[in-house]
Amino acid sequence: MKHKNFIISMVIITVITAISGKKFIDLRKMDKINKGTGVVSIERLSNYAPTLKGTAGDTDIYHLKGDKPGGSILVLGGTHANEPSGYLAALMMVEHLKAEKGDIYIIPQANKSAFTHNDSQEGNETHFTIKTQSGDRSFRFGSRATNPVHQWPDPDIYIHEESGQKLSGGETRNLNRAYPGKANGTLTEKIAYGIIEFIKEKDIDISVDLHEASPEYPVINAMVSHEKGIEVASSALMNMQLEGVEIGIEPSPKNLRGLSHREWGDYTETMPFLFETANPSQGRLRGATTPENIISGKDDYYVKLAKQGMLFVPYTKEGHPLSQRVARQIVSVQSLMTAIGEFTPEKEITFANAPTYDEIVTNGVGTYLK
Amino acid sequence: MELTTIFYRAILLMVIAILVINMYDEKKFMNHIMSGMVIIPLVLRLLMIK
Repeated sequence: MKHKNFIISMVIITVITAISGKKFIDLRKMDKINKGTGVVSIERLSNYAPTLKGTAGDTDIYHLKGDKPGGSILVLGGTHANEPSGYLAALMMVEHLKAEKGDIYIIPQANKSAFTHNDSQEGNETHFTIKTQSGDRSFRFGSRATNPVHQWPDPDIYIHEESGQKLSGGETRNLNRAYPGKANGTLTEKIAYGIIEFIKEKDIDISVDLHEASPEYPVINAMVSHEKGIEVASSALMNMQLEGVEIGIEPSPKNLRGLSHREWGDYTETMPFLFETANPSQGRLRGATTPENIISGKDDYYVKLAKQGMLFVPYTKEGHPLSQRVARQIVSVQSLMTAIGEFTPEKEITFANAPTYDEIVTNGVGTYLK
Repeated sequence: MELTTIFYRAILLMVIAILVINMYDEKKFMNHIMSGMVIIPLVLRLLMIK
């Protein structure tokens, strides 16, 4: 046959392209979030930033409303989609928890676009699986930044408009360097703008951004607080220590701009906080990244480094399991809610059915997901 | 779909089309393999453009 080689090669190319193309397109599918019985309404962020409508940055805001009046809190998960404890803690609030007092607003996928891709050259898995009430459930392990498919090209240098601060070009897609954002800026700036507008419009009392950091990063197992929230943060720290959870307070640096704990406090009336737990799966010094070590938080390299005193958190063979990190996030948020009530009783916010730190660690986070 | 998306996709489609047309008359199997190694990432790139 004259074109035998052509036919054979086209068949091979078609098969490979179909398999890889399907896998590629599947990366755009977002995790399904099951609305819990505590959720009274779901809004879109584009209601507060109309330029986000129809973009990959538009995301859901879940509202849990208590029967009794109280303060209001905004909880953000998924600002960085490669930091799963914040994302899962926010999901747990949406799917399992109920508000007893006050208004609790939750954005589990703050940078939704970041969930549609991975950081290049990291060898990260695209998904990890947890056993939940409905069986094995797969969750996305995304990137620190907005997908370049949705926002490109990066400039050589990212200049934070309000301060003139210069950062590397890739940071232009980092939501936690984009605040206060711009209505007609980049996609990341539009998301930041939407969140700021939401905080202003709802007159949110306290706002929390849930993060993770690698064990070799100095700010870890910590609560970063804007200066106007330091007293509440100190009280929350004591509440956490009573639960047996060790945590430190870091003041939000005034000269590091674009971050939630700085700009939310400067541009709105809210009291902003940011929490960091220890995530070995995003560290520079980790071993192989597998779906298992995202969940188990175990890594032999970090055990060795801990022995040499090179880490900022204790690290043993038991690692830092995801359930423990989610438990820290939930307890941190609860402690803040209690703390604000200690200073201003009418602004107290409480969950009706929050499990304790030990219960989440023992039962696993999947027990509290649908 | 935005105009720029259509424009960039059209460029890629054109490159893929040129490759396939040239493959049609190519006799060496190794050259077909080499073309495949170009076409596959191009198709993925085509899916990526938004």
